[in-house]
Amino acid sequence: MQEIERVHYASTNAVPKPGAADTTFFVQVDQAKCQSCGTCEEVCSTGAIQPSDGQNGPRTVVDPTACMNCGQCLANCPFGAIYENVSFLDKIEAALADPKVKVVTMPAPAVRYGLGECFGYPTGTYVGGKMFTALRQLGFDKIWDNQMTADVTIMEEGTELLNRVSGKNKAPLPQFTSCCPGWIKFAETFYPQILPNLSSCKSPIGMLGPLCKTYGAQEAKIDPKQMFTVSIMPCIAKKFEGLRPDIKDIDATITTRELAYLIKKHKIDFKNLKDSEPDFDLGESTGAGTIFGNSGGVMEAALRLAYEVLSGEKLTGDAVNITPVRTHTGVQAADVNVPKFGVVKVCVISGLHNAVPIIEEVIAGKSPYHFIEVMTCPGGCVNGAGQPLAPDTLQSSLFKSVIARMNRRFHMRTMG
Amino acid sequence: MSMMIMTRRGFIKTAGFAAGACLMGVNFTKKAYAQAKEYLAERQLSVYKHDTAMKYRKSQDSPAIKKIYKDFLHEPCGHVSHELLHTHYHDRSAALKALTAKGVKLKIGA
Repeated sequence: MQEIERVHYASTNAVPKPGAADTTFFVQVDQAKCQSCGTCEEVCSTGAIQPSDGQNGPRTVVDPTACMNCGQCLANCPFGAIYENVSFLDKIEAALADPKVKVVTMPAPAVRYGLGECFGYPTGTYVGGKMFTALRQLGFDKIWDNQMTADVTIMEEGTELLNRVSGKNKAPLPQFTSCCPGWIKFAETFYPQILPNLSSCKSPIGMLGPLCKTYGAQEAKIDPKQMFTVSIMPCIAKKFEGLRPDIKDIDATITTRELAYLIKKHKIDFKNLKDSEPDFDLGESTGAGTIFGNSGGVMEAALRLAYEVLSGEKLTGDAVNITPVRTHTGVQAADVNVPKFGVVKVCVISGLHNAVPIIEEVIAGKSPYHFIEVMTCPGGCVNGAGQPLAPDTLQSSLFKSVIARMNRRFHMRTMG
Repeated sequence: MSMMIMTRRGFIKTAGFAAGACLMGVNFTKKAYAQAKEYLAERQLSVYKHDTAMKYRKSQDSPAIKKIYKDFLHEPCGHVSHELLHTHYHDRSAALKALTAKGVKLKIGA
């Protein structure tokens, strides 16, 4: 076990064998540390984490099939008893040390709002400029920003929605977003009948991998065979996504925490770095791309496109802020009036259990919506389980340990 | 008397809360909860603040987007996009069925 930014990792060199992602535990419970407080069971949407003895013993992730790899159990465990079981860190350091390999970094939007917390900045501080400089100092040859392919995602997914509305695309409405790997696995596992409703778009990182090795390689005159692509995510489930057979050209995935670890290990003085920018071709991005990190962000970004296409009018000034879809609650429905079209009906969901009634409506043919966004983590990717832990997660352990002790005593009584 | 009926978990929570409150003061749990909410809100607000500060705020206005569609992708949902940027999903319900057949009970599904 190795501790990285207050989270334990089985190893820094733990990469599943090809084809083994579906049978790999991305997070697991350290049986010796679990105090049976039940917090993980409460935050798990699917019920994948259960007492190992069927009574009230230490918890365990029962089977990879049931786990969406979101890691909310890990992010909420007051005892630090849940560890990450997959890490590409050693593989990345080997690639960075090899002069023949061109290493490309692909940081997600939410990473730049969480990374600073590992270096003493206040919660949520934007540190994008310093992050790009740190990545260059670590030896990455190209910074191709996943926030740019968030913009590509909007062009593709927004157009797909418009085509479904017009009938040019025969796939059904409502259209669901497809950026979140926990959500995709959830739909595939529990509700395969709604798969035609999912946008056929890969996630922004699913798009960036192949774009690096085609368009990016062409623009930068790099042989794609010499290229090693590293996805940096606020998310544990993205490690699973990068290993999916339908997702190509992502050679490694790490979390915000693991990036902080690399920066500290290489003794980079993060706070005193100058700001810099990503490399243009797959680097320049917009506000629509950056809000992907929030629940409601993909929806708002897509509406900024759909509104202009449907109405033929430009969104300017404050009208660019489509505030009715901004939320940190579990379910938010909104009607957006679009001139020359009418009402666009949308719904924004975070937390997979919150999606269930909305999915049931779709299956029953009674869904009123055009477009539904689903994110696994409450509040969206900024609150992903690859981000630095909330400062109070472990601090509350004294209180939680009291509950756990009583829990065990109570349990012993009922068993006796 | 209905207010006295409690689930087992409810009892553990209440008892734990009382014990925790003795140790750390009555407002502790309220504060911990508010802190967690605030923590998320701070990250979210920072995202929206940075959005308003960006030079371009709509994907379709980005020079990099205009360039990649002009030089490489040609049009959204076109042939190149279909090859590189779109996918097909995979029905995993058989694995779930096999798991529940072993007697594993989950929160979702039959």
